[in-house]
Amino acid sequence: MKKNKYLIFLILFPFHIFANDIQINVIIENCKSCHGQNYEGNKYIKSLKTLEKEEFISKMIKYTTSGDNHVMTRISKVLNKKDIIKMAEEIYEKVQ
Amino acid sequence: MKKFSNYRRSFLKSSSYFLSSLLFGTLFKISDSTADTKLKPRIIIVGFGIGGATCLSYLLKFSKNFDIVVIEKNEKIQTCPMSNLVIADIIPYSYISHDFNHKRLKNIKFLNSSVKKIYTYKKIIETEDSSKVYYDYLILSPGINFKNDIDGYNSEDRTIVPHCWNGTKDIFNFKKRLNDLEKKSTIIISAPDYPYRCPPAPYERASLLANFLKRKKINFKILILDSKDSFTKKDIFLNEWRNYYKESIEWISKSNGGKVVYFDKKDNYVKTSNGSKFKADFINIIPNQKAADILTRSGLNGDKDWCNVNPMTFELNDFRDIFVIGDSIDAGDMPKSAFSANSQAKILATNLVNRIYDKELLNPVFLNTCYSFSSSRRAFSITSWYKLNNQKTKIVSLGSSTTKVDALSHQYFNETRQAYGWYENLVKTIYG
Repeated sequence: MKKNKYLIFLILFPFHIFANDIQINVIIENCKSCHGQNYEGNKYIKSLKTLEKEEFISKMIKYTTSGDNHVMTRISKVLNKKDIIKMAEEIYEKVQ
Repeated sequence: MKKFSNYRRSFLKSSSYFLSSLLFGTLFKISDSTADTKLKPRIIIVGFGIGGATCLSYLLKFSKNFDIVVIEKNEKIQTCPMSNLVIADIIPYSYISHDFNHKRLKNIKFLNSSVKKIYTYKKIIETEDSSKVYYDYLILSPGINFKNDIDGYNSEDRTIVPHCWNGTKDIFNFKKRLNDLEKKSTIIISAPDYPYRCPPAPYERASLLANFLKRKKINFKILILDSKDSFTKKDIFLNEWRNYYKESIEWISKSNGGKVVYFDKKDNYVKTSNGSKFKADFINIIPNQKAADILTRSGLNGDKDWCNVNPMTFELNDFRDIFVIGDSIDAGDMPKSAFSANSQAKILATNLVNRIYDKELLNPVFLNTCYSFSSSRRAFSITSWYKLNNQKTKIVSLGSSTTKVDALSHQYFNETRQAYGWYENLVKTIYG
């Protein structure tokens, strides 16, 4: 069921600003600069460990479509849904 | 069989260099006499600022496979990020000063020295005390150097207001002079031409000096004399100055006669390119910049201000096995910032390991997010992702974006929290 949901995302949002030969873990290494080596966050920045994978995907997708002023909105805007799902797979495989 | 094939070649070279160093120089003082040490490829990291320390944090897990040496001239690290907040007495000095965690670095050889010269053809480094150290791979993260291209100005002069742009204890001298200002004072900040370390920082400094002087109830005027006609986050800074510091900060662009060309330290005034003369009680010249001195002394940047590197590996284009990151390189569209150096260092370390093990190199992407404060409760940022161009010869931006000028107060406040959050996780990761 979850796989089907992801597949629908991939079909709906195929646009990809990063080259296809860029591995998702290269993108994720940059997330760690703020979120910490183990995504633990700190008193100022949210821990990704406290989120469920689906929650992470939903929040990230919201950032990409939101026009608000959050720094994450601007950081996320180059990511498409496929990137976000791959990021979630990678991050939550390590977190759990 | 394929693994370590490069290493074997470099080991043979290293061994001969090691023997030759016995003949012509002082032997490297760090213990390297065991066979085990000599069988491992030696990676030397020069400079333990953000770039060098990030590289090490990524290489630490390989510390049993490599002989890793760190050479750092300072006994503690003082970061440039957040230093304007220290100047403005918003955070204490201890926040930006970091000890070396020797427990964490137990498998690393640490040399508290500076590098006098690099002999590229012999793959040997000479340190300040004339020790000779061979390397298989050399990572340089040495920061920047300053140009003395303003008549009458010398960046080394300890009797003038220090530029405070290189993470040294000059920050105390800067603060003392600031505290000595009379109740009515004029301040000049001379902003450098591009490219330079931390592009928004001169304007953040103006904002935070204004914030500090306002709290001290000093009647002041800050003039920013600029060698450029625009600057990053300009609209936001101008808005902040208008709303929170009224008429007390004035920016004069290069076209309007802002470029400082002469400094008179005796009578405390500067002259700009159109002949205008500005006198002040406190003159903070932030000099134009170039690659760190060690690179120039060793002929690694030719006759250029900045080093040219392969952006896939950060290896110097003209010198094999020497890698440079951070402020001393021409990083294409990437600004010279701590965030950039951190992002570059991750790729450098990962692709160096890939190269040593004959694995495929990663195609890099980089991120930069640069926060600026206008007061203790207001910060804003510029952010951009970067990738390589199609030829893989240059780092190009995917488009930058900034905080909106009309953002709400709580959003500006949230960005202060994100700035502290980024900084604290960064230093925790790299300094432990």
